[in-house]
Amino acid sequence: MRIGLELTEAARISWSAIQANRGRGALTTLGIIIGITAVITTMTAANGLARTFREAFSTVGADVLYVSRMPWVIVNDFWMYRNRPAVELDDSERLAEAMRGRAIVNPTVDTSLPTRYRGSTLDSTQIVGTTEKQIVVSSAVPAAGRFLMPFDVRQRRMVAVIGHEVRERLFGTVDPIGRKVYLGEHVFRVVGVMEKQGGGFLGGPNFDLQVFVPVSTFVKVFGGRSRDRSVTIAVKALSHEALPELEHEITGEMRKIRRLRPGQPENFSINRLDTLMDAYNNVMGVVLAIGLLVTGIALFVGGVGVTNVMFVSVMERTREIGIRKALGARRRGILLQFLIEGGIICLFGGLAGILLAWLITLLINATLMPASLSPGIAATAILIALAVGMLAGLAPAWKGARLDPIEALRHE
Amino acid sequence: MNRIAPAAAPVPTLQLEDIVRTYVMGATEVQALRGVSVAIQRNEYVAIMGPSGSGKSTLMNLIGCLDRPTSGRYLLEGQPVGEMSDDELADIRNRRIGFVFQTFNLLPRTNVLHNVELPLIYAGIPRAERRERALAAIARVGLADRALHRPNELSGGQRQRVAIARALIGNPAILLADEPTGNLDSRTGADIMAMFNELHASGQTVILITHEDDIAAHAARTIRLRDGLIESDQSRAAAGARPA
Repeated sequence: MRIGLELTEAARISWSAIQANRGRGALTTLGIIIGITAVITTMTAANGLARTFREAFSTVGADVLYVSRMPWVIVNDFWMYRNRPAVELDDSERLAEAMRGRAIVNPTVDTSLPTRYRGSTLDSTQIVGTTEKQIVVSSAVPAAGRFLMPFDVRQRRMVAVIGHEVRERLFGTVDPIGRKVYLGEHVFRVVGVMEKQGGGFLGGPNFDLQVFVPVSTFVKVFGGRSRDRSVTIAVKALSHEALPELEHEITGEMRKIRRLRPGQPENFSINRLDTLMDAYNNVMGVVLAIGLLVTGIALFVGGVGVTNVMFVSVMERTREIGIRKALGARRRGILLQFLIEGGIICLFGGLAGILLAWLITLLINATLMPASLSPGIAATAILIALAVGMLAGLAPAWKGARLDPIEALRHE
Repeated sequence: MNRIAPAAAPVPTLQLEDIVRTYVMGATEVQALRGVSVAIQRNEYVAIMGPSGSGKSTLMNLIGCLDRPTSGRYLLEGQPVGEMSDDELADIRNRRIGFVFQTFNLLPRTNVLHNVELPLIYAGIPRAERRERALAAIARVGLADRALHRPNELSGGQRQRVAIARALIGNPAILLADEPTGNLDSRTGADIMAMFNELHASGQTVILITHEDDIAAHAARTIRLRDGLIESDQSRAAAGARPA
């Protein structure tokens, strides 16, 4: 009962104190506003990045293993991999043979070439040689026309399935199906258009800027033997076999195919989406940590500002503290009064910060990437602001609470 | 309250036994009180007098439980308060002491009603009862029509009445007034003194701290301090009723 009354009284005093010093309070909140804006923007940006990334790779398939010459993520041992022999189409065929009935095996090989339709040119498009199994391994399907068929691959037909963005940027409103398109120096006929997949953010692969052609045609016209045109073999288990076991099997088969003696290190790598995700998460973790550090500094500086003003507030109200103590206020009553004052100041800072961050988020959304301010982040920001306010008010409040009532009453 | 004690030895409202209060100022010690013993009974009307430096402020702070003695015993209604913690002393001040200050010491930003009910907030009294008691106390000092005014809208005499209402609201054992007319003109001062006389007549124990003889003349008993010791302690039977 009593503590409740003391709380209401403390809140009432704090409120009237803030009202009496509105200008000062507003200036004090500036640091908190900046800090909270930074907190929210950092978290919102991190969320947006993570979502963009997940969406971009949602078609890659988490249950698919990719056999390639180099690992996808090379930390610092590039020299260890550079002398590895290329993974050949033959390797893929043999692996498909060995895994028959257990897994779908699909080779891909790619290169970057300009693409041209009449007057429009796309400078660098990812040309991917693959088979009809591509759409089984990945989850993307054609939005118009058809995908590659087995006979396209068998007969090395000059046909292409283009990505969503290739269609938009090259053909505009023209229906591309059946049209002739130049891939480098060679003419292909468009037979299909893929659905929109996304990606391409921050230098990542843009799946909408890909053009699929039969892998046999690719080898014939662009050459498939160079080490730089190494094949990537996608393997997707037919049953719900666990990935580690599948990886173990593939490793064994690939060692046989590439005639590695026991004890000899592997000259190929097996990748999965997790590898990329891990690498991405590491990078994001560092970025987030730096962001939060900067944010923390901003909040700390803001907090120190609040502490300063609270000391002034305690000084100014020394006599009032004396009166309250003479009338029976306990230490905690005075303590609460100033803690709440700090809390309210920072709460206002937090609310203003949320407003500002919301505007920034709108800006990011319009220019950089999809971002939205989630209620969870806003709530976290409010809690942080409150905590900073209370912490900032602690030292001044303690000073006020411990004042000697006689001295305080004598204060002018 | 003293129902069991024999009539010959009632528990005094206030009993000081050999009180010493020493201040340490740098390297030197200053003895503000050097052994003060005094007992004040219920419904006494006492003036504590003395020139500045005599220790009367120190004594007032001790009686008001704003301070603790360096040595000696202080019993307030039989309860030893000399060694209580800060928060315990806060509770004693809240329930047993009613302060009236020379400079009124009202909270400037809040109205009369809130100023008067403040001790009850710290006592944990619920709102409705608080309101009722505060309004009654305000009416008792004749300011019923000023309850929602702020202190700066009141005259000095009215402010001191608000302070008296605030001091009385917790039914204190002692009404402790420190130069209550020091900031008032003589006519308003006389009004305030009349109010103290009236309160005493209705049973309130009143202690005045003053250096003015004509203010002290209202009291039935005058204690004079000099150099931290009691110089004289005189009662005038004619001026007020002695406790039974």
